Amino acid sequence: MHNLYIAPTSSTPEVNFQFDQHQLSLRGESYPENAQAFFGPIMQAVQNYLPSLQSTEITVDIQLAYFNSSSTKVLLELFALFNDAAVAGNYVTLNWHYIEDDETILEFGQEVADDFMALDFHPCAMVG
Amino acid sequence: MSLTDFHRFKELARQENVVFYYTGYFSQSIVTAMGDSLRLRLSSLDASQTARRKLFSVFVEMAQNVVHYSADHLTASDDADHEIRMGSLWVGEADGHYYVVCANPISPTGASHIRAKLEPLRTMTNDEIKALYKEKLRAEGEAGSKGAGLGFLTVARDSSNPIEFDFVDEAGSNSPFTTFYLKATI
Repeated sequence: MHNLYIAPTSSTPEVNFQFDQHQLSLRGESYPENAQAFFGPIMQAVQNYLPSLQSTEITVDIQLAYFNSSSTKVLLELFALFNDAAVAGNYVTLNWHYIEDDETILEFGQEVADDFMALDFHPCAMVG
Repeated sequence: MSLTDFHRFKELARQENVVFYYTGYFSQSIVTAMGDSLRLRLSSLDASQTARRKLFSVFVEMAQNVVHYSADHLTASDDADHEIRMGSLWVGEADGHYYVVCANPISPTGASHIRAKLEPLRTMTNDEIKALYKEKLRAEGEAGSKGAGLGFLTVARDSSNPIEFDFVDEAGSNSPFTTFYLKATI
C-alpha cells in the first residue's frame, strides 16, 4: 500500500497519510470548490488501507485551522471509516488540534467524539 | 466616468467603512485570492480573532455559493467543478460590527427555493440554528446541492444578528433573472 502525500494549497490541506507507519495527518485549511472531488481519492485510499488491518494502532492528527461546510461533511464521513476500523478491533487515536479560542472547531471535534465513541479522541489546544 | 467620479466612489466607500468590494466573475482561484486579500485587510483592522474567523467563514460560504449557483455563468450550469459565475461581494463595518453582503442573479424558481430556506432561519435562536446544523450535517445530501447543503446554515450560525435577504428585479420585468442579496452581520 503506497503512502499518500498531497502538498497544501491556499484552499486545500497538506495530506500526509503514512500508511506504512499508521500515521495519518491533515494540516492546513480546507475550502476546495468541490470537497467531494478533492477528498474522493483520499477516502478511497483510506478504504483500501483499513480493511487489511488487525489489532493495529493508528494515529490520526487533524490540524485544520479552517474548513468550509462541504469539507465538514466529508470529514465526518472520513471519521466514520476510522470509527468502523476501531470497532473492528483496531486502536485509533484521533488527535484534534485546534487554536485554543476557536470554539467552532472545538465544538465540531466534540461532536465527532460523541458520534464516534470507538475513537480515542484527544483535543489538543494550540496557542493562536 | 471621470477621475472625479472615481474619487467620489472611493470616498463613499471610505465613509461607509467598506473594507472590501468585488464585482465580476467568481471562480475558486478568485475566491482564494479574495480570501488572501480580505485576511490582509482584517489583520490591519481592530477585529478579534473570533470575529475574523467568522467573517472569513461567512465570506467563503457566500463566495462559493456564487461559484456554484449564480444564474449568470460562463461554465455549464450542471458542472460541479472549475465553475465560473457572476456576482458581487462587499465586506464592511457599521456600528462596531463587520458584515458581508453578497449579490448574484438567480431564476424565479431559485428565488422561491432560497426564500423557503432562509425565512425560518431569521426567527431561530442560535441554539436552534446549531441544532438544525447538526441534523443537516448527518442527513443525506440534498438534490441539486453541489456542496453539503449547509452553506446558509453556516452563514446563519456565524452571524450575530438574523441574516437579511432580498430579491430585486434590477434588469427589468422582462429579465428572466432576479438579483438575490444576502447580508450577514458578524
